[in-house]
Amino acid sequence: MLTSILSKYKQPKKVPEGNVSDHHPLTNFAYLLGTVLIVSLLILWTLGLFAQWVATQISPETESQIGEMLLPMVLSEEEEIVDDKRLQYLEELLASLPQSGESTRLPLTLHLVESEVINAAISVGGHVFIHTALLEFVKSENELALILGHELGHFQTYDPVKSLGRSLVFIVGFMAVGFGTSESGGIPDIVSMAGDLTQLSYSRNQERAADHYALYRIINRYGHGGHSLDFFDKLGEEEKEQEILRLSQYFSTHPLSEDRIKYLKEVADEKGWDMEGELTPLPKWIECPNMEPCDLEEEEGDKGKE
Amino acid sequence: MDILLQIIIPLVLLILGYLSGSYLEKRHYQSIRERERKTLHVPLVTFGAKQTLPETHEAQLFVGTVVISIDYFKKISAMLRNLVGGRIRVYESLLDRGRREALLRMKEDAMAWGATQVLNVRLETATIGGRSGGSTDPGSVEVIAYGTGIR
Repeated sequence: MLTSILSKYKQPKKVPEGNVSDHHPLTNFAYLLGTVLIVSLLILWTLGLFAQWVATQISPETESQIGEMLLPMVLSEEEEIVDDKRLQYLEELLASLPQSGESTRLPLTLHLVESEVINAAISVGGHVFIHTALLEFVKSENELALILGHELGHFQTYDPVKSLGRSLVFIVGFMAVGFGTSESGGIPDIVSMAGDLTQLSYSRNQERAADHYALYRIINRYGHGGHSLDFFDKLGEEEKEQEILRLSQYFSTHPLSEDRIKYLKEVADEKGWDMEGELTPLPKWIECPNMEPCDLEEEEGDKGKE
Repeated sequence: MDILLQIIIPLVLLILGYLSGSYLEKRHYQSIRERERKTLHVPLVTFGAKQTLPETHEAQLFVGTVVISIDYFKKISAMLRNLVGGRIRVYESLLDRGRREALLRMKEDAMAWGATQVLNVRLETATIGGRSGGSTDPGSVEVIAYGTGIR
């Protein structure tokens, strides 16, 4: 019976091929990659802007709570130097920077950090971090004031919270797409990404605004901008000498020194600010614990023995 | 450096996957088409489950199975496709190859035995290896074709 059914039909001359779409896999891939990248970047960018806006809306109390929460991620207790006379000096210097009538958004907390890396930073909640290596590196109070002013500038314009908001969006975004999650449930990766939260990054414009803010305060405080840019000069030299290891952290979060000097000089020209003036010296032994005379080389030798 | 590695390694895998994957696929299709031409004169039919079988001397079960692995390029393409939706071309060709290869293996076995027809042909598909849950090892697909050869 079956044979009779079969004999009614002609056998096909070849197996029909229609099961595979005929576009090329590579063009297909390029199209997909393009679409996904553009759409996700657009979404992330929009969400990032939104998060930045939300971040500026949170209350000062909430911000200081978030700051407290993040603090252990940035700073370990062994690194922080407490009960040091230098803290008092730095706090006074920091407090002298805002103009009269200007108040900081939150009371600032100063943390002196024992570190070989030249860096200074301000974090959410008004936590200012100053590395001891920076105190060894600067040669005048003017330089130090400019650096502190710069960080203060970031804080006053909500830059740390904005950056935090943006990072949160990126982390959530990446998790949603499924990148960065490993077979072990993705937990270690998320933890490491959360660590990046504290790595604040600012746009070029934000950096410039902070530089501008700092120089304006310097002019107010000292009457001139002389010697305040020396830090960048020295940084620029080290950039050329490529002492990358010690400076890498500062580079990764700040623009190139030459650009900053150029920009600040332009600003000063425009506003007619005096960029020459007397150097205000740092207190003696600022690089030593408690500002008591010390020989740093020896101290480092001691550390090596431990 | 870490970031560089994170970009370079997938890129190398992607290129390797594409080159070797498309070469193997091309070769496989050539072999499939040639063998299909050679075996075309023996009919494969799906009749037989509830129909009476034709009068024959002998009948025997024949099974053809094949397992094909996806490559990294296919994996990433499909992953991207999962985000936007639509036809996954790279998987279509994978399954097409699998089905045709499985049918061919079954048919060639049956023909070696002396079959004049293979009746009641069925196809099944299974996945092997971690295709789900964001696993990193590429999955494979198994296609099984089975039918009753008669002579």
